[in-house]
Amino acid sequence: MHPPSEPITATGLTVAATDPYPWPWNGELDPGHLCLVIAGTQRVHAAASPGAHGVAAVIDAVATGVRRAGGTVCHVRHTAPAWNGVGRRRPLLPELGEEGWAPVLRPAPDDLVVTASGHDGFCGSALDPELRARGIELVVAAGMAAEVAVSGTVRSANDRGYECLTLSDAVAPLDPTTGARELHSITMSGGIFGAVGTSAALVSALERRAHEPIPNPSHHARTP
Amino acid sequence: MTTVDADPYPWPYDGTIDPARTAIINIDWQTDFCGPGGYVDQMGYDLGLTRAGLAPTAKVLDAVRAAGWLVLHTREGHRPDLSDCPPNKLWRSKRIGAGIGDEGGCGRILVHGEAGWDIVPEVYPLDGEPIIDKPGKGAFYATDLDLVLRNRGITHLVLTGITTDVCVHTTMREANDRGYECLLLSDCTGATDHGNYSAALKMVTMQGGVFGAIATSDALLEAIAS
Repeated sequence: MHPPSEPITATGLTVAATDPYPWPWNGELDPGHLCLVIAGTQRVHAAASPGAHGVAAVIDAVATGVRRAGGTVCHVRHTAPAWNGVGRRRPLLPELGEEGWAPVLRPAPDDLVVTASGHDGFCGSALDPELRARGIELVVAAGMAAEVAVSGTVRSANDRGYECLTLSDAVAPLDPTTGARELHSITMSGGIFGAVGTSAALVSALERRAHEPIPNPSHHARTP
Repeated sequence: MTTVDADPYPWPYDGTIDPARTAIINIDWQTDFCGPGGYVDQMGYDLGLTRAGLAPTAKVLDAVRAAGWLVLHTREGHRPDLSDCPPNKLWRSKRIGAGIGDEGGCGRILVHGEAGWDIVPEVYPLDGEPIIDKPGKGAFYATDLDLVLRNRGITHLVLTGITTDVCVHTTMREANDRGYECLLLSDCTGATDHGNYSAALKMVTMQGGVFGAIATSDALLEAIAS
């Protein structure tokens, strides 16, 4: 039913083969506390990211897996800040109504959609309160223009204490070299922005978690 | 003053360096990140990489102080009781043997008031220069930086500091999203991995300057002197 590769730690379940540590840090892979945050998936980002077409299919598949497990999926729309007409026009930040603004992935009816006034999904958006209101502690990141939109969002999520996993096969960078370096940066200093893993390993671990709920010491194990 | 010879466009975009609206922000030049016995040293990284930008930064500070710019500094660190340190951040640091709050070569690692948390002498703040204490990588999150900059009428930011791909980049991204016109000085910054440093510089310049521009300190000094 499941590959035997997901390590069961002393405190629960983690995703297989994540770098640089078994993710999440506390072994509490609870889909009810997990959100897949999809950033940079508007036409302007897809057009600038060479692998966007293939990655769109991977993101769709992992989103389906997260929803099926009972997790949350959030789509970030990046738009030009209100001051755009005053300052320098920022690349990759389309205004509402422009062709580049249009999303390339279709949200499911229960998905969250937030609008950020910048590359960072937390900037000027309802992302943080929406995640907190749902009890989200785990942020899984995917998307396009990955060095810009995905990385910026992960950096802010990490500073806010969210435990972040960036899916290496569900991100399309602007450039393969800088994209690989951006993933490498995550793993420095013991996981400075969380960890890196694959979408298949995440979905597999979520399926296993759904079929075999693992007693969670910190939440459930204080039984007589 | 003329514009700075920068990549990918002459900085700033609006053509003039106005000392009244331009600030320099020096990110995390702390012993914990570039001094012997500090956090980065304890993790086993090459201090030569994070110290490389100190001398050029000191030179730039002399020039911009003389030109009347606002000079700011940031420090990453936590309260002594670690109440502002996310549990996953604490766990990760302990897992690699450099636990935040643990005794290290320069006092408790990344804790306010400890020797390792202080800024190194080469680029030490002068009296009156704002110092922003931050619990995370970005200098805007959970700090009063944006308010300080707005009160002073700052619209343009020059960045120095460490490390390029982590705290400097996160702060530059936050500043750019908030409308500040940003310039990162390429020889006044460094990272624990040279490849990550180079990539972080390149990323700034992509798409016509997605986070602003980069330039050498010499190019900035030349523009200030002209």
